[in-house]
Amino acid sequence: MTASPSQFPPPVDSAAEFVGAPTDPSDERIEVGVAIVGGGQAGLACAIRLLQLLEDDPETMERLGEVPVAVIEKGRVAGAHQLSGGVMNPSAIRTLLGDDDSWPHWGEVKAETVYFCTKRRAFPLKPTPPPFRNHGNYVVSVAELNRWLGEKAEEAGAYLLSETVGAKLLVDGGRVVGVRTGDKGRDKAGGEKANFEPGSDVIAQATVLAEGNWGHLTGAALKALDLAPKDPQVWALGVKEVWEIPQPFEKIVHTLGWPLRWGAKWKEFGGSWIYGMNREGEAPKVSIGFVTGLDYTDARFSVHDVLQEFKLHPLVRKILADGKRVAWGAKAIPEGGYWAMPALHAPGMVIAGDAGGMVNVPRLKGIHYAIESGRLAAETIYAQLKAGSNDFSAYERAIYASQMGKELYESRNMKQPFGKGLILGGAITNAMVLTKGRFPGGHWATHRDSEAPLTLTDRHKRYPKPDGKYTFDKLSGVFLTGNATRDDAPSHIRIQTRVPREVGEGWAWMCPAGVYEVPDDAPETGMIDLIVNPSNCVQCGAITAKGGRLTPPEGGDGPVYQIT
Amino acid sequence: MSGILVYALHYDGAFNKNSLGAVSEGARLASELGTECHAIVVGDVSDELAASLGNHGATKVYRVNGPEGLAQPVVDAMAAAIADGGHGYALFGGGLLGFEIGAGLAARLDAGVCMEVTGVRVEDGKLVAERPILQDSEISSVHYRSDVGVIIGRLNAFEAHETGGTAEVVDLDVQFKPHSTRAKMVQRGEQRGADVNIEDADVLVAGGRGLGKAEGFEALEELARALGGAVAATRAVVDAGWYSYAAQIGQTGKTVAPKLYLAAGISGAIQHKVGMQGSENIVAINKDSNAPIFEFSDLGVVGDLNKIVPKLTEAVKAKKA
Repeated sequence: MTASPSQFPPPVDSAAEFVGAPTDPSDERIEVGVAIVGGGQAGLACAIRLLQLLEDDPETMERLGEVPVAVIEKGRVAGAHQLSGGVMNPSAIRTLLGDDDSWPHWGEVKAETVYFCTKRRAFPLKPTPPPFRNHGNYVVSVAELNRWLGEKAEEAGAYLLSETVGAKLLVDGGRVVGVRTGDKGRDKAGGEKANFEPGSDVIAQATVLAEGNWGHLTGAALKALDLAPKDPQVWALGVKEVWEIPQPFEKIVHTLGWPLRWGAKWKEFGGSWIYGMNREGEAPKVSIGFVTGLDYTDARFSVHDVLQEFKLHPLVRKILADGKRVAWGAKAIPEGGYWAMPALHAPGMVIAGDAGGMVNVPRLKGIHYAIESGRLAAETIYAQLKAGSNDFSAYERAIYASQMGKELYESRNMKQPFGKGLILGGAITNAMVLTKGRFPGGHWATHRDSEAPLTLTDRHKRYPKPDGKYTFDKLSGVFLTGNATRDDAPSHIRIQTRVPREVGEGWAWMCPAGVYEVPDDAPETGMIDLIVNPSNCVQCGAITAKGGRLTPPEGGDGPVYQIT
Repeated sequence: MSGILVYALHYDGAFNKNSLGAVSEGARLASELGTECHAIVVGDVSDELAASLGNHGATKVYRVNGPEGLAQPVVDAMAAAIADGGHGYALFGGGLLGFEIGAGLAARLDAGVCMEVTGVRVEDGKLVAERPILQDSEISSVHYRSDVGVIIGRLNAFEAHETGGTAEVVDLDVQFKPHSTRAKMVQRGEQRGADVNIEDADVLVAGGRGLGKAEGFEALEELARALGGAVAATRAVVDAGWYSYAAQIGQTGKTVAPKLYLAAGISGAIQHKVGMQGSENIVAINKDSNAPIFEFSDLGVVGDLNKIVPKLTEAVKAKKA
């Protein structure tokens, strides 16, 4: 038996529910110059660049009003919901900040190896395949980098509205005019508690959607404003741990192969990373994680548990021996690439960073694209607002004309060949990087992750039983994130809860945070009633990829990542 | 001298368990510092009841005539007592009222304040508050530089000890600030479903999803009655509507430390563990021998709780009869 989550679409009409005209009386609306939704790399780079430009132009600054730049961030602080591998190409942050090279990092990449793993052995690939060459890049924690960028943006004069959700995109007469922030203090049934505070209409001359990998407003805008790309976006899911280890690990490692299965049938496309994190005066750390494309077809595939399984490999044991896990987290990664990028502008609005699908999939890089796209968005917005226009189409042209745009085009068919299995797919993509995209060429189409039919297998029997010291269950990870989402709030996860067992188990195994549970007494086959625990959710976004629809919970809820 | 002043909350002719714990803790610290622990009570308290705080180590009890249960009048009262007695520290047991009074007092006296304190130690003749941080994974030590240090405990952080003895009762006349008398206690209500006070119970019988259905709690209630305890619940069953939120234990519920915690059908995820790990004795019944709860139970029973719980209730009743 198989079933696809897409046969059970989420009960939501996002274009109707999350896009609309302002509703507050005009004297109660909050007016800002530029409203940026999302305090990630893209949003904060945009804020910083805007304020750099406005600093020398008091006249335009004046026109943007009392709050020239507002950043709306749903996390408790900028960076609270940020997670990446992460190795950053420093080019974009250097362009943005010029001489200021005090941004926090965990060392320059000096040595790297890619291994192909079997269950017990690891074979180094020599020479290192081109997409994995990282010399000159830096190991970073985006959770940390974003706190730093947030401070920079505030110093420059940005208003950082943390614990605030961009709940609804405000559109009036075909033009985006701002964002409505989310309500706070609703009870489970949606009623108003004693501490209820309604959201506000934030009216802006320009709106930047820099919402990251699963943009709530971006998803709605794509439908409502007809910005959808040629191909649907597809995602991978990454689960990460940070370990403190006694001796520094001085290199970065990527692996392919085990514990993933090679065959085209299972579509297990992904691999691991192990990055040494070293900084003077601090305990040496390692970032370790596993990423797998969400188009897999095994209902009992769980990236979290595959990471635990991967940690049993001798190669990993050697590195983590005598260490201690200090952080955990998960995040989906848009990896549709070039063909899955939406139109990046609409009247009054632009889309930047991951929300716009700007990830270089073969090189596993998106941080510098986010920063660069934020910077380019700021330049277009500044120039157009100065000229009294809200036509931001120049931004999209600037993106495609940039180095990033060229690279995205060259790697346009990256993800698709892996439908042919790991070995052939790997060969094709290496060839693609070497030929700068001329081979395989053309347009290879993708399918929605949620359309992949799911089958129940014995995959789960391979996962190690967590010992609480070296291998861990999902909920202990959620606990480490500092997630303490209010229990008596309305569910922010829109899914159908009566689904075939294949779909229900698929979600339960997929979710790294244990949000979905199949009841013990559910029937072995046929339809089941899924239990949903929204307060476990770390907002990784995987459910949006795999057939549900995540919306932001109350501002401030969710994880408080520190070093992921 | 830099004595310690402890706020003692009372209701219905009895002191709150957390307040008594704070008095005991204050007395312990005072003896280490070579000073005295005083208590303060507000409202209608008999001589006998006030003096009984001596049984927990207070040497003097300030009694203030004023409204009990509201924060601002108590801030005024404590500021007056400190002006009178020159105390170096104000100490509170856990609870929201203590947070509010402590915060107000800190603002009034320009005092340092630390809340959610789980331990206090003496260092160089001064008190150092210990406060868990980063999801209780580390403890931070908080030193005071102000003349008065405000220390607010976490619920159940301080244990009450009976030492014998009575305290001198001193009536203190306090001029309340105009804003302090603006609020009036209209009605004391209980939180929904809070017919049991799980934080004060010595015995808790807690149920999780392993009960199978809401009706499973009936057997737990009977067992709790037999044991003279109260019933608690996990988030999962509260979410499912099987039991009231007031009884929820864990990260997003209450933190308890009873003498006996009996966990029935609870897997023991860390989110639950942090709410009950301070219990003296933990007994778990679960049909899954791999359940994490067995890793921190003193006694683990693998089996069907629908069979075990009624038998256990019978046995407890028989023993008590």
